[in-house]
Amino acid sequence: MQDTVIESIRERVSVAIEVNQSVGIQVPENRHKDLLEAIFHSMCRNTYDIWTFITVNQTFDYLTKTFKEITKQPNIKFIDCISRAAGISDNSNNCFFLESPVMLENLILEVMNNFKNKKEAMSNAKNKKSDIDKYIVIDSLGALLIYNDSEIIRKFYSLVMNRSRAENIHVVSIFVEEELNSNQLIQFNDKIIVVRDSFID
Amino acid sequence: MVRETLIDTTLQKKEGFIRTGIDKLDRLLEGGIPSGFTVVLLGSPGSSTEILVKQIATSGIVTYITTEETKDEILDTMRRFNWQIPDIDFVDISEKYYSNILKGEQKRVSIYEQRSKLKLKELIEIGSTGMPSTTTATEDFLAILSNRTKNLAPNRTIIINSLDFFLSQCNQDDVLKTVYAIKVNNLKNKGALLIVMTKGVHGELFERKMEGLADAVLELDVIQKGSSFERYLSVKKMRNYAKKIGIARYVIDDSGFVLEMIERIM
Amino acid sequence: MPIIKEVCSTGIEELDMKMSGGYPLGSTVLVTGCSGSGKTTMCMQFLFNGARKGERGVFFTITEPLFKLTKNLEGFAFYDKKLIESGMVNIIDLRIISERLGLDTEKYTVEDAGALLDILKDIADELDVKRLVIDSITALCYRLQSPQMIRDFIFKLGTSLAVMKCTTLLTSEVPPQTFKFSQYEIEEFISDGILFLGDVKRKGDLIRTLQIIKMRGTAHSRTKFALNISTQRGIELIPLLKSSEFEFETLLK
Repeated sequence: MQDTVIESIRERVSVAIEVNQSVGIQVPENRHKDLLEAIFHSMCRNTYDIWTFITVNQTFDYLTKTFKEITKQPNIKFIDCISRAAGISDNSNNCFFLESPVMLENLILEVMNNFKNKKEAMSNAKNKKSDIDKYIVIDSLGALLIYNDSEIIRKFYSLVMNRSRAENIHVVSIFVEEELNSNQLIQFNDKIIVVRDSFID
Repeated sequence: MVRETLIDTTLQKKEGFIRTGIDKLDRLLEGGIPSGFTVVLLGSPGSSTEILVKQIATSGIVTYITTEETKDEILDTMRRFNWQIPDIDFVDISEKYYSNILKGEQKRVSIYEQRSKLKLKELIEIGSTGMPSTTTATEDFLAILSNRTKNLAPNRTIIINSLDFFLSQCNQDDVLKTVYAIKVNNLKNKGALLIVMTKGVHGELFERKMEGLADAVLELDVIQKGSSFERYLSVKKMRNYAKKIGIARYVIDDSGFVLEMIERIM
Repeated sequence: MPIIKEVCSTGIEELDMKMSGGYPLGSTVLVTGCSGSGKTTMCMQFLFNGARKGERGVFFTITEPLFKLTKNLEGFAFYDKKLIESGMVNIIDLRIISERLGLDTEKYTVEDAGALLDILKDIADELDVKRLVIDSITALCYRLQSPQMIRDFIFKLGTSLAVMKCTTLLTSEVPPQTFKFSQYEIEEFISDGILFLGDVKRKGDLIRTLQIIKMRGTAHSRTKFALNISTQRGIELIPLLKSSEFEFETLLK
C-alpha cells in the first residue's frame, strides 16, 4: 500500500515537472518526506539537468543525513535559507547558505547565478548537450511565509515565476497542506498536483 | 609683620638644603631649597623669571630642561652675566621642537618647487606601488621629560623652563601626571625640582592644582609704580617652614638677580 | 533621427539597464553610503569592467593602502591582475603622492588640497583615462580644517572634474542609518548623479539597497534595488521586493 503510493507520486511528479513549466504540489505533512523522495528521484535521473533546490523547511544538514547521496550530486545545488539565521554554521560546496530567509532578493540572485555558472561549466565540458533542462524546487512556500509577509512572498513568487519563464526554467513548488496562507499561491502554476494521505488527485 | 634687612654675607652650606646660588634668596629661604622639594616658580610676563632660573642653574648639579631657548642661547646669557658655568646637563626640547616646525614649514614652501621637479610618470609609478610611510607621530615631549628626570644622581637640581610649552602641546591632566611622577622621583633623590610656569594663563584651577602639588611656591611680579616698574619676589608657600614666607623687591643688574628688601610675613 | 546618448557602462548589468546603458559619458557620480556598504567594490567593478572594454581607468585611494585594496579584490571574478599590470587599471595611493609633494598627509591647507587636485588631474591626463574614481572625498575633506575650506575644495574639485573628459565616481561616506547623501551636503551639487547605498529593515534583518537618487540626462526611476555583495561576482542588483509594511517604514523616515 505504502509503496504503491510512493511509486505513483514518483511517476506523476516526474512526468508533470518534465512537461510543465511550473508545477505546484500540495502535500499533507505526513507525505512531505515521500514527496521529497519522489522529487529527488527525478533529480538523480539525469545528470545533465541542472537543479536548484531551495530548502526552507529542513536544514541542509538534515537533508544530507536523511537523503545521503542526493546532496553530493554535482548537478544539484542546494540553497539553505534557515541554517544561517538559526546560527548553525555549515559549509558545503553543494549548498549556499542564505543569511536570512527574508533576503529574498539574494535568494533569487543566487538561484539565477547558479544556472548561469552551471551552464558555463557545462558548455565548457567536452560532451555537450544542447538542451539542458533547468529546474528550481521550492520547499516550501508556506515556510517562507513564516519569515515574510504574505504580500512580499506573493511578489517574490511572481518574480521567480516570471524570471524562470523568461529563462526557460521549470519551477516545482511544494505547498504543505498544514502550512497556512500559501495555498492561494498555487494558482500561479501551470499544473497542480494534490497529494492526499492515501492517493493522488 | 617684621621688617628685616639682610647683610650681604656668604652663607655656609647647610645640610639638607640645596642652595639657589643667590645669596639673599638662600638667606630668605634660610639655607636654600629644602632637599626633596618641588618648587613652582610662577612668573608674570616681564618679571625676568628666565634670568633667575639661569642663575640658579649655575649653582650645583643641574639638569636643565629648556623649551623656549636653545642650549647655546642659555650659555650665552650665562656668560654675559659672568657667572661661573658648571657642567649643566641640558635637555634641549626647544631645538627638537623648532626643527620639527621648520621641517614642516620648509615642506610647505617647496610643494610647487617639488611639483615641477617630479616627473609625472615617476609619480604614478611610486603612487601605484609603494606604501605611505607611516606619518611620524609628533614627538611625545612628556615622555622625554619623564625619561630625563628619572634615575638621576642624588641632590641634583632639575629645572623645567618652562611648563608652558608642555601645556601647549599636551593636555593638562597628562602634564599633571608627569609632574607628579617627577616630584616623586625628586623626593627620592633628595634633589630640588624647579618648575617655571607663566602666571595666569593656564587657568586658575590648574594653577591651584600646581600650587597644591608643590612644596614651595615662588612668585615673581612686576608692579608699575609711577613711571617705573618694581619687581617683587614673594614666597607664597613653604611647606613645613611657615616663617620663610615673605616678599622681597629685586632688581636685575650686571651680576644678575639682586634681592633688595625683604619683608617677612609671619 | 534619435539622438544616441553616449554612456559609460557601470559595470553592473542591472544598473546599466536601468539607466539606458550606463552613466552619462563624462559625468561625475557620487556613490554614497555608510562604511561597508559596497562603495569601493562598486567603483572597482566599474573600472575593471571598463578596462575589459578597453577603457583605461584610475583609482585614487586615500584611506586604504594599495596592498589591502588589491587583496580584497582577489576573490572577485571581475578582478584581473593583468589589467593592473598592463596599466589599464591604475590604483594610486594619494597619500604617497602627497608625501612626495612634501605635504603633511594628515592635514591639508587649501593650497595643499589645490596642489593635490592639480596633480590628480595631471595624472588622469597623462594616463589618458576614461574612468576615474576618488575613494573617498570624505577622507580628503577630513584633512581640511574648516567647513569653509571644505566647501572651497569641493567646488574646486567640481570645476576640475567638469573640464575633464572622463566619467568619475566619487565615494562619500555617511554614518549608517542616515538619509543624507553626503557628509558636507555640498558634494551632491557638484555631481551629476547620486547613487545611494543604504539598507532597509525587513523583519529585523537589514537588506542592502541601492537607489538612484539622481542621474542627470538619463530617464531613471527612483526604484530601489536590493544589493548583494557576492564574494565572487561583486555587486549584484535586483529590484527590491516591497511590501506595504515596507513603504510604511520609508514614510516614517
